[in-house]
Amino acid sequence: MFSLVRKDLILQKSSILLLPVLCAYLAFNTSILWIGIVFSIVISLNSFSTDEKSPIHILFNSLPYTRKEIVTSKYISAFIFTAVVAIAIFIGNYFINGMIVDWKVFVLMFGIVLSVISVIFPLSYKFTSNQLLMVSLVLSGIFLVAVNFFVKNWIDQIRAFIGWLLALEGNQIYFMMAGAVFILYAGSWLLSMYIYKKKVF
Amino acid sequence: MENIIELKNVHKSFKGFDIKNFSIAVKKGFVTGFIGGNGVGKSTTIKMIMNLLQPDSGTVSVFGLNYKEHEKEIKQRIGFVYDENILYDHLSLNQMKDIVKHAYENWDDHLFNHYVELFDLPLKKKIKTFSKGMMMKASLTMALSHHAELIIMDEPTSGLDPIFRRELLEILHQLMQDGDKTIFFSTHITTDLDMIADYITFIHNGEHIFTKDLIEIEEEYAIVKGGLELLDREIEQEFLAVRKSNYGFEALTANKGRAEEVFGDMVIMEKPTLEDIMYYTKKGAEQHV
Repeated sequence: MFSLVRKDLILQKSSILLLPVLCAYLAFNTSILWIGIVFSIVISLNSFSTDEKSPIHILFNSLPYTRKEIVTSKYISAFIFTAVVAIAIFIGNYFINGMIVDWKVFVLMFGIVLSVISVIFPLSYKFTSNQLLMVSLVLSGIFLVAVNFFVKNWIDQIRAFIGWLLALEGNQIYFMMAGAVFILYAGSWLLSMYIYKKKVF
Repeated sequence: MENIIELKNVHKSFKGFDIKNFSIAVKKGFVTGFIGGNGVGKSTTIKMIMNLLQPDSGTVSVFGLNYKEHEKEIKQRIGFVYDENILYDHLSLNQMKDIVKHAYENWDDHLFNHYVELFDLPLKKKIKTFSKGMMMKASLTMALSHHAELIIMDEPTSGLDPIFRRELLEILHQLMQDGDKTIFFSTHITTDLDMIADYITFIHNGEHIFTKDLIEIEEEYAIVKGGLELLDREIEQEFLAVRKSNYGFEALTANKGRAEEVFGDMVIMEKPTLEDIMYYTKKGAEQHV
C-alpha cells in the first residue's frame, strides 16, 4: 500500500514547484492559516483528480492491491501533503519573517484541511467531478445568498471566531478539536471504503 | 488437467443484459481464446475474472483461490492487457514502470528492458504520443515483466494493423514455448485464434455456448450445403441454424457424423470457420426466439 502513497508523492512532484509561491505569500504577510489551508487542499485534490480517470482505476484494481488499500493510500497521502505544506510554512516563515509559527495555527490548519477532505473524498468517490462542480456551484450560490441575508458581515465574524480560537489560553479545546477531526477523518475513510467497494469499473 | 480459472454458476445482471448461469474452466498451460460478438459479455466476464466486478451469485476462482481471501496473491501471478490505455498518459514508460514495479514481488527489470528493446519502445517519450500498437506493446511489456503465470487479455488485437497483430501473436506463441504459462484472451477477430489458440470458449448473449479444442471443433462442426428439397421441419431441427436461398440451403451442424448419416453424398460438407460458428449460432438463437 505504501507504494500507492509513494505513487501519489511522485505524481505530485510538480506541486513542490508551488512551494516557492507559498513563500512569496508569506513575504507579503498573508494569513498563514489561509495559505496553509488553500495549498494543502489544492495539492490533495489535485492528487485525487489525477486518478479520477476511470481507466487508471482499472489499472490499480488489476494490480495486487485491495480496494481498501487504494482508498487508505489516498487518506494517508492527503495527510502527508498537509504535513509537507505545514513544514514548508514553518521553515519559510522562520527564514522570511524570522518568526516561529504558533503550534495552534497548525492544529487549526490540520483541523480545517482534514475536515474539508473528509467531506470531499467520499463525495468524489461517489460522484463525478462534473456532478460535484454543478452541485457545489449551486450550493455555494445558495449559501452566499442565505448567509448574506441572515448574517451581516459574516466574513468578519469568521475572522473574529478564528482570532478568538487562537487567543484561547487553555490547550484542552485544541485537543478536543484534534480528536473530533480525527474521528471525522476516520469515519470518512470508512465511508469511502464502503463506496469504493461497490464501485463498478 | 488442472484448471487455472473456474467460474461456476455465475450470474451478473445489468440493465438490459444478463450473464446467466455461466460456468467455464480455463486449462493450465494452454492458450484459450474467448470469442463472441460485441456486447455478449466477454469484457464483463474478464472483469469478473480480474475482480473488477463481483458476480451477483456463483463463484470465481483463479489458481484454485478465491478473491475474498487471496486477492493480492492471485493478482501477483496475473499479467493483464486491456483494449484501452489504462496507463497515465502524461508519464513516460520509464516513469510508469517506476509506479507499477513496486506493486509486484517478482518484478524483473532485465525482463522489462528485454521487452522494451524487442518492441522498440521509447522509454522517455510520454505515453500519450504512442500509437495504438505501441500502447498495446507497452501494456504487454508491463504484463510480462513480473513472471506472471497467467496472462489475461481483453481484445488485445482490436484496432491493431495486421502486421502488429501478427507480431503480437508471434510473441504470445513464443511465450508459450518458453515456459509453463497460461493465456486467456478475448477477441472477435477469429483468424487470430487459428494461429495460437489451443481451446476456444464461445459466449453468446451472456451464455456459455461451448469450450472445445480446435480439433474437436473441426471434428464436430460442419457447414452443410444442399438443395431445398432435402429439408423438412424435422431435419431443420438437426441444425444449429439454416440459411435458405433460391439456390438451396446452407446450415451449420454440431454433429457432423449425424449429418453424414442423414444426407450421405447428397450434400456438400465444408469445414466451418470460427466466424461461421459465431454467425450461425447468433442466427440460430434468433430463429429459436
